[in-house]
Amino acid sequence: MSRMARTRTSGRGPRGSSTLLAVPGGIWMLVFFIVPILVVVWYSFGQKPGLYGTHDNSVLSLDRYGEALSGAFLLTFANTLQIAVIGTLICVLIAVPFSYWLAVKVTPKWRYVVLALVLVPYWTNFLIRTLGWQILLAPEGPVTVLLRQLGLVDAAFSMLYTKGAVQLGVVYNYLPLMILPIFVAMERLTPALREASKDLGAGRWGTFRQVTLPLAAPGIVGGVVLVFIPLMGDYITAQVLGGAKGNMVGQMIAGQFQQGQNWALGSAMSVTLILITLLSVVLVGAVGIVCGAILRARRRLPIERTAAGATPARTGTEVPA
Amino acid sequence: MTGTTRDRATNLSLRIFGILVLLFLFAPLLVILVYSFNSGRLLGAWEGFGVNAYQTAFSSPDILHAVGVSLRSSVVATLFATLLGSALGVAIGVRTGTVVSVIVGVLALVLVTPEIVQAVSLMPWLTSLSVDWGIAPLNDGILRLAIGHSLFATAVVSFLVRGRVRALDPALTEAAEDLYASRWNSFRQILLPQLAPAIGAGALMAFTLSLDNTIISAFVQTTGNTPWPVYVLSSLRSGLRPELAAMAAVMLIATLALLALAAAVLARGGSASSTARALVGSE
Repeated sequence: MSRMARTRTSGRGPRGSSTLLAVPGGIWMLVFFIVPILVVVWYSFGQKPGLYGTHDNSVLSLDRYGEALSGAFLLTFANTLQIAVIGTLICVLIAVPFSYWLAVKVTPKWRYVVLALVLVPYWTNFLIRTLGWQILLAPEGPVTVLLRQLGLVDAAFSMLYTKGAVQLGVVYNYLPLMILPIFVAMERLTPALREASKDLGAGRWGTFRQVTLPLAAPGIVGGVVLVFIPLMGDYITAQVLGGAKGNMVGQMIAGQFQQGQNWALGSAMSVTLILITLLSVVLVGAVGIVCGAILRARRRLPIERTAAGATPARTGTEVPA
Repeated sequence: MTGTTRDRATNLSLRIFGILVLLFLFAPLLVILVYSFNSGRLLGAWEGFGVNAYQTAFSSPDILHAVGVSLRSSVVATLFATLLGSALGVAIGVRTGTVVSVIVGVLALVLVTPEIVQAVSLMPWLTSLSVDWGIAPLNDGILRLAIGHSLFATAVVSFLVRGRVRALDPALTEAAEDLYASRWNSFRQILLPQLAPAIGAGALMAFTLSLDNTIISAFVQTTGNTPWPVYVLSSLRSGLRPELAAMAAVMLIATLALLALAAAVLARGGSASSTARALVGSE
C-alpha cells in the first residue's frame, strides 16, 4: 500500500532524488577503496625488479602466490588462523553466558549501565588497552608478582611475549564486539517467551537450549563475523604482547611494504589474506546454516512424532471398544 | 525446593561470572590509570606516586602535536563519513534494485576487508595520485589520514542510517507531500529530524574509530604528521614512559565525558534502551 503510494509520487517524493544521494559516497568508495585494492591485485601478479624497485608488472605470473604459500609464510598463515579461530571460540564461550546474564538476569534498571561498562574499553584506544596488558603481564608486573607470591609459578615465569599472552590479548580486545550482537539478540527474549516455554514443560536447561540459544544464534553468527575478520588482519596486539613469537600475517604484509619494499609479494599476501578470510566466513556461515537446519529438524520431530503417535494410539484404543 | 536452591546457585554463579568478566574488561584500563601516576622514568617499573607524568605529557611538544594531529584528522574524517555515509544510507534505505545491491555489497566489503589490506593498498595509491597525477591536496597529512579513516566509518554510518530509514513510517513523508511541502522542506522537516539519532550515533562512532585508528594511519601518514596511536606504537621500541599513560588517561576521561554527553542528548528524545541501542548501532 505504502509502496504503491510512494511509486505513484516517485517524481517528487524522496525516491526521485535518492539515487543522486549515493553518487558522492559511491565515487569516494570507488576512488579510495575499490581502485586501490584492484591496483594491489594487479601488483600481486608482478615481481620485485631489483634491489631498489618496489614492483614491476612487465612479466605477469602467479609466482608471488607460490612464494606467499610456501614455507615460513604458510606457517604464519596457519599460526594466524589458529589464533583467530581459538580467539573467536573463547569469545563465544565467554559472551554467551555473559549476555544471557545481562539480558535475562540483570534488572532493566542496571542492564544498560552494565552494557555501558562493557562498552567503555571498546571506546578507548586499543593500543593503550593492550599496553595495559603488557604492564600486567610483564615479569615485574602485578599478575606475575602475585602468582609468584602465591607460589604458583617459579621466578623465571613470564607470560609476556608468549603465544598465551597474544591469545589473551586478542580475546580481550574483541570480546565487546562479540557481547554486543549476542546481547541484542538475547534481549528480544521477553519473560513471556520463557514463561511460555516453562508452561509447555521445558526445564531451565531445555528453555535455554530450545528457546534462548536459537534466538541468540543470529547474534552469535554476527559476533563471530565481527570478531574473526578484524582478528585475522590484526597484528598490533600480537606485536605488543607476543614480541618475536607474535608473528601474524598482518605483520608480514606490513613488513613487505615497509622494510622489504617487495610490493608484489606483499600484494599477493594481501589477496591471499582476503580470500582466506572470506572463505572462512563463508564456511562458518555454511556450517551455521546446516547446524541450524539440523537443530530445527530435530526440534520439530518430537512434536510431529507425538502427534503422529497419538492418533494411531487413540484409534487403537477405539477399535476394541 | 531443590529446584529453587539450584536456581539460586545458577543465578549466583552467573552473577559472579558476569562481574569477573567486567573486572577482566576493566583490568588494563585501571592499570593505565594507576601507572599514569608512576613517578619513575619507565612506565612498567613502579617507583612511587606522583603527578609529574601529567606535567611532562602536557609540556612535551611531540605528544601534544601527535594528539593535535589525531584530533584534527578525526574531525575531518567524521565530516566525510557523516556526510557521505548519511547520504548513502538514505539512498540504500529508500530504494531497492541492482545499483543498491552493488552499493550495499561494496559497503559490506569495506567492513570485512582486513585493515592492513586497506592500509597497504591506500599507501601507494595516494602517493601515485599526488605525485603522478599531480593532485597536490593529497600531500596534506591531515587529509590523507582523514581519507584513510573515513572508509570504514562511512560504511558504519550508512548502515546505521539505512536501518533508521527502513524503520520510518512512510505515511509521515506522504502526509508532508499531501500538505504541499516541497521536497526540500519534507526532507528537512520530516526526514532529517527522524534520522538525527542515527546520524549522531554514526558521527560519534566515526570520531572514535578515527581517533583509535593505528594500522591505516601508520601507512598513509606523512612525515611530521604522526597521529597519537602511531606515536605510541613507535615509542614501544624506545621504551614506554609514564607520560604516555598520563595522556592516554586524559583522552580516556575525555572520550567518556563525550559519550556521556551524547547519551544524555540522545536520552532526551527516547528511552535508555533506545539510547543504548543507538550507541551500539543496532538500531
